Amino acid sequence: MNGMASTDRSKCDDCGICCDTCYNNAREMTGRVMTVSQVMAEIERDVPFYDQSGGGVTFSGGEPLLQSRFLRELLLACRAHDIHTTVDTSGYAAWETLESVQEYVNLFLYDLKLMNDDRHIHYTGVSNRVILRNLQRLSQSGYRILVRIPLIPGVNDDEYNLRQSGSFLSTLPCILGVELISYHHLATAKYEALGLSFPLSETHSPNADEMQHSAVLLSEFGLTVKVV
Amino acid sequence: MSMTDRVRKLRQQSLDSLETLSGERAELMTAFYKQDLGLISSPVRRAMAFHYLMENKAICINDGELIVGEKGPAPKAAPTFPELCCHTLEDLDVLDTREKISFKVCSDLRDRYKKTIIPYWQGKSLRDLLFKEMRPEWMAAYNAGIFTEFMEQRAPGHTVLDNKIYNKGMLDFQAEIDTQLAALDYLHDPEAYEKQEELKAMHLAAGALIRFAERHALKVLSLVKQEFDPLRKKELQNIAEVCTQVPAHAPRNFWEALQYYWFVHLGVTTELNTWDAFCPGRLDQHLLPFYEQGLNDGSLSRPFAEELLQCFWIKFNNQPAPPKVGVTALESSTYTDFAQINLGGLRPDGSDGVNEVTYLLLDVIEEMRLIQPSTSIQVSKKNPDRFIKRAARIIRTGFGQPSVFNADLIVQELVRMGKDLIDARCGGSSGCVEVGAFGKENYNLTGYFNLPKVLEITLHNGIDPRTGQQIGLETGDPRNFIRYDDLFVAFEKQLNYFIDIKVRGNNVIERLYAHYMPCPFLSLLIDDCIVRGKDYHNGGARYNTSYIQGVGIGTMTDSLTALKYHVYDQMTFSMADLLKLLETDFTKDERTRQLLLNRTPKFGNDDDYPDSLMTSLFDVYFNAVDGRHNTRGGQYHINLLPTTVHIYFGSVIGATPDGRLAGTSLSEGVSPVQGADKRGPTAVLRSVAKMDHVRTGGTLLNQKFTPQLLSTDDGLDKLVQLIRTYFKLDGHHIQFNVVDAETLRAAQKDPDQYRSLIVRVAGYSDYFCDLIPTLQDEIIARTEQKEF
Repeated sequence: MNGMASTDRSKCDDCGICCDTCYNNAREMTGRVMTVSQVMAEIERDVPFYDQSGGGVTFSGGEPLLQSRFLRELLLACRAHDIHTTVDTSGYAAWETLESVQEYVNLFLYDLKLMNDDRHIHYTGVSNRVILRNLQRLSQSGYRILVRIPLIPGVNDDEYNLRQSGSFLSTLPCILGVELISYHHLATAKYEALGLSFPLSETHSPNADEMQHSAVLLSEFGLTVKVV
Repeated sequence: MSMTDRVRKLRQQSLDSLETLSGERAELMTAFYKQDLGLISSPVRRAMAFHYLMENKAICINDGELIVGEKGPAPKAAPTFPELCCHTLEDLDVLDTREKISFKVCSDLRDRYKKTIIPYWQGKSLRDLLFKEMRPEWMAAYNAGIFTEFMEQRAPGHTVLDNKIYNKGMLDFQAEIDTQLAALDYLHDPEAYEKQEELKAMHLAAGALIRFAERHALKVLSLVKQEFDPLRKKELQNIAEVCTQVPAHAPRNFWEALQYYWFVHLGVTTELNTWDAFCPGRLDQHLLPFYEQGLNDGSLSRPFAEELLQCFWIKFNNQPAPPKVGVTALESSTYTDFAQINLGGLRPDGSDGVNEVTYLLLDVIEEMRLIQPSTSIQVSKKNPDRFIKRAARIIRTGFGQPSVFNADLIVQELVRMGKDLIDARCGGSSGCVEVGAFGKENYNLTGYFNLPKVLEITLHNGIDPRTGQQIGLETGDPRNFIRYDDLFVAFEKQLNYFIDIKVRGNNVIERLYAHYMPCPFLSLLIDDCIVRGKDYHNGGARYNTSYIQGVGIGTMTDSLTALKYHVYDQMTFSMADLLKLLETDFTKDERTRQLLLNRTPKFGNDDDYPDSLMTSLFDVYFNAVDGRHNTRGGQYHINLLPTTVHIYFGSVIGATPDGRLAGTSLSEGVSPVQGADKRGPTAVLRSVAKMDHVRTGGTLLNQKFTPQLLSTDDGLDKLVQLIRTYFKLDGHHIQFNVVDAETLRAAQKDPDQYRSLIVRVAGYSDYFCDLIPTLQDEIIARTEQKEF
């Protein structure tokens, strides 16, 4: 279609044969099955760089907590090799899931999208109650957290939401800071690849002034805010 | 940025000047040689020729300058060296009209070449003699593109100054020479007479430079009379005083130190067209005492020191490399003359060499933003991160300077070669990436070596498929090889065969220069020429190294990998089938080409399968070259850098087993094949670090980043960490291109909008728009790292 390869999702069974067969790499399977040792072998390649920079590995996704048993194994292995670990999560999981991995995580990157529950359900499809409660518990248990707020014009960049976020976060210990992330369209490609339409394609990225304004607002709550 | 009006003007003049060819030196040299001087020894003749030049060439003082002196009669007027290589009228026309790296030839010059210069030198230049002396096997290999010959139109240079001129004037050098002359033992030393002649020549050459400076002083004083501006009048008087003090006497202050170096630079590069010009070396070390003293006694301020350095910088930019033709133009297609200035590194006692002048120089590099001089930082574990980070701020502005070297590894490399530890610490890198002991070594690069071409010859049982000629050994029909090792052993045989040819040729060429083209002026400046009474070209230096630069290791590794993986391990197809495919340049089977590109392990991805083949290849090349003896009492070593020859070398090779199309460029330096690295810069560094860099005299690694990656402080820190880690893994050098592909493609389409766009090529920066299209394409294709 239009000179580009596309997938008829009704017929595709994800066998991946088309990816193997096309040597021009016109088709790519996103994701593959790996064992813990295979993943660790990858991670360990960069150890000289971690040693030098004080960095480490970040587990992200998607949502890494959806593979919590696998994640836990990996975190344990990293801990055994003295590799610093970071988990980048939406926080949308049962508390027990978080509990099962938390002690092996050096740093959490935790998303905070919307404080108002109805709006949260409208935009993400789920309630934020569990997310907020998990953040509270994680923080109160002493785990280091960097909160990330994607600033999406027209969705969560209103003063009310920012004040609510700021107020909430200021009550929590162990919040190292807040990263305000400028909304971008990089996800569009993922939606297209999945044959889905991208609902927020009309939303623009916030400009530098908007970012700065929001950052200042949040910092009034005593938070360290970084614009990214 | 801070530039005085004077500097702004001089800089603009430098950028605006067109490169022209000057016939002045050729004419003077011809007039000199036409004199019937009777029985004069070769060194004395050359010294007298040098004196004649210095006595008669035009003195150029540009408006507003603080540092004076040009190689030719004007900025960017490049002299020619007919005694080495006499250009034909066709050559002149090519130089005048070619699109890239042209030199304007006025009709008057063309006339003089026609009437005077060509008639005298045709058939009599060193180049003519050189090609007469080379045997058929050498000519066959040279013409096939197996190797290039650095000395076929340029003199061996490849050396760098140490600190001796900051303590000694030319009169002091002459006094030393007199001492040596007086000590010659004509009774017991059979070489006493040769030494006498060489020493006499050096004495004469020293005097010539004093005379050259004197003439500048006189010219400046005559300008004083016509100058109405009292400020400029005072400046001119200062300049005249400087030119009287140096180079006759040791410099007394910062200004004199710079002017002295500059006169010396002009002397070396006018005596002969030395490859890689000449270099001041560890400038921050040499200038520090003058800087501190000047600040202390109030005679110097930081702003004025900066201004002087900026003027100094412009001087380098005014000197395009001597015009090349033929293969030499292709292997070094640039105006850059590769004078390199090193910053940082270690002091002779092994301590941290970074000082206030280092940071001053970094400011100058950033402000001036010129192609020449080349600059580098020598990074030791003893140097602070702040130093690297400061350089990183310049690197991210995208003009490819400074390049980054591993100072600690360089010391190891030099010591491995048998050099004294202190000499090693005072050394560093020059040219592209090669290393030497500054002020004490003649480390001659003799030519590039086309590794993938040797593989092609092997795959054709010694025949060059481009011509059908048998130029190599008959190592067997590869279709009969049962194992990969059979192929690799055959390759090794061919490699050694061609290295033998190259070395045999070098051994003659070295003698040609020693006999016919001694360089008594350069010899003054490099230990131990005076003490030994021997010319720089004849083993006078303390260390005498010859390098052969291996090219295309990425392409080679991927080709060997493809062969091993598909023909011998997986048995995807037979050797016979593959060879047929290569012969047709994949035209009948693009699908298999894609297989070779995308379903084959590649070097640069931290994969031991190809990487171990790389190290075997390295060992074979190392064993073929390292430790061989040259005729100057020194040894051969390897380095791995291409300048621009990977384009030329690629043009003489057909399709290769890694999926590369016929005639297209090879990989450059030790970098992976353009686009073959798919796992990010850390994987590239890990792959490249598997090579044993310490056994080389320099390796070149290019990395390209988009500006976004380095726009924050955090990004800069990451770059510093990347460099530190690569050096911890014993990498030799790394340089960065920070431009996005979109900008480069736009620049290709509309060069006039991008005239100022500078990119890093291979060991130097250049204007993107001055590059030949294939090199432009290659830089665009170089992997763009989108994230760490």
